[in-house]
Amino acid sequence: MVGMYCEKIEEARESVHVGGRKAALEALEKFRVQGYASTRNKLKGNVSRLSFYIRHGVLGIREVAESVRERFGKSYDAVKFWQELGWRQFWRHLYGLWGDGVYEDREAAKVPLGNGAEEELPREIVEGRTGLVCMDETVRELVETGYLHNHARMWFASFVVHFRKLGWKAGERFFYRHLLDGDPASNALSWQWVASTFSHRAYLFNRENIQENGGKEWCERCTAKCPFDATYPELERRLFSK
Amino acid sequence: MKTGVWLHGDSLSKEDPALRRHPEARSVFVFDRPFLEKAGLSFKRIFFLYESAVEAADEVRVGETVEEILEWMRQEGVERLAVTESPSPRWRETVERLRQKVEVEVVPAEVMVTVPEGYRVKRFTPFWKDLGGEWVDGI
Ligand SMILES: Cc1cc2nc3c(=O)[nH]c(=O)nc-3n(C[C@H](O)[C@H](O)[C@H](O)COP(=O)(O)OP(=O)(O)OC[C@H]3O[C@@H](n4cnc5c(N)ncnc54)[C@H](O)[C@@H]3O)c2cc1C
Repeated sequence: MVGMYCEKIEEARESVHVGGRKAALEALEKFRVQGYASTRNKLKGNVSRLSFYIRHGVLGIREVAESVRERFGKSYDAVKFWQELGWRQFWRHLYGLWGDGVYEDREAAKVPLGNGAEEELPREIVEGRTGLVCMDETVRELVETGYLHNHARMWFASFVVHFRKLGWKAGERFFYRHLLDGDPASNALSWQWVASTFSHRAYLFNRENIQENGGKEWCERCTAKCPFDATYPELERRLFSK
Repeated sequence: MKTGVWLHGDSLSKEDPALRRHPEARSVFVFDRPFLEKAGLSFKRIFFLYESAVEAADEVRVGETVEEILEWMRQEGVERLAVTESPSPRWRETVERLRQKVEVEVVPAEVMVTVPEGYRVKRFTPFWKDLGGEWVDGI
């Protein structure tokens, strides 16, 4: 398989997440839906980490939804979980309609964006050397494990597109290479959702949001001047006024 | 006629709908070399696919997908193919090319909610409001 992956041979590593149906069924059985709705936004919250199995059909989407119904019934948490699975079906439905059109801006951006001309993200970002611990650790986790929590994906995408004014397509490529669940529709359309080319407004986050959902540990280790330490109106002024 | 099942990147399981419809059939997965050389995926990702593919398929090959499938069919004495549907344009193109040579049965993929023919919305909220009830309240 040499020549078919992006790393040098000596850097090629397996993920901690094991492929195949046996591992997938074990992971499905281990997942308990209790607390999903109230903790799913936290990096340490009770999310399923089943996305890579679902993406590749190792587990069926209905099989996963049914397993939750059989074991936990129709609880508030289960309904929220099914709704998240619904997102996957929604993106997939649009992929069926648009095909490779998911890779083009679906709508005019609602805020000023960069020109989007770059093919790749800058090396300091993909090598985790920006000095911003939250972003560098996110990249390290992605490259090492092939998985990121949804909130980490949103923060990183917003950092790339709005704080650094880089094109969403370069970010999309970077994620697609590394995410074990990398999916043309879920990935490209989520990047567009953050960028505002497929949503009513751009997605922004601040330091408070990171600390609330990711904990304080990153910030405590960080010595950089924090570009995220501001209120939302301030950030909007800074990032979106022409 | 002997049927074989083509497993692809959206259907890496022995419970794949096409395999469930043809439980006796032999199955193949192909790492598409031209695609992978362009895509530059990480080793982890390819390894994950490999682990999934060896568990799911009777044979895992590397090469150009259509050529490899046709060659596999000859070797196995398989005369027609069954495959689970995918929205991917590359999948569609592959099925069209295969159909120039052999009969291909397309089996619907597993869905959580049924999207009616011609249904169009651009946001998730109305999508789920219209269709989510089938799953949440139904059955
Ligand atoms: C920029 C960006 C890129 C993304 N790229 C992908 C991608 O390539 N592939 C992918 O599967 N998801 C993608 N997502 C969606 C989401 O982040 C992941 O599906 C989720 O984090 C997977 O973790 P989990 O299995 O623990 O999710 P859980 O919270 O346990 O959710 C259960 C399942 O629902 C589905 N799901 C949940 N949220 C979403 C969502 N927003 N969109 C689509 N499906 C969802 C997944 O199949 C997931 O396994 C992306 C999100 C963002 C913001």
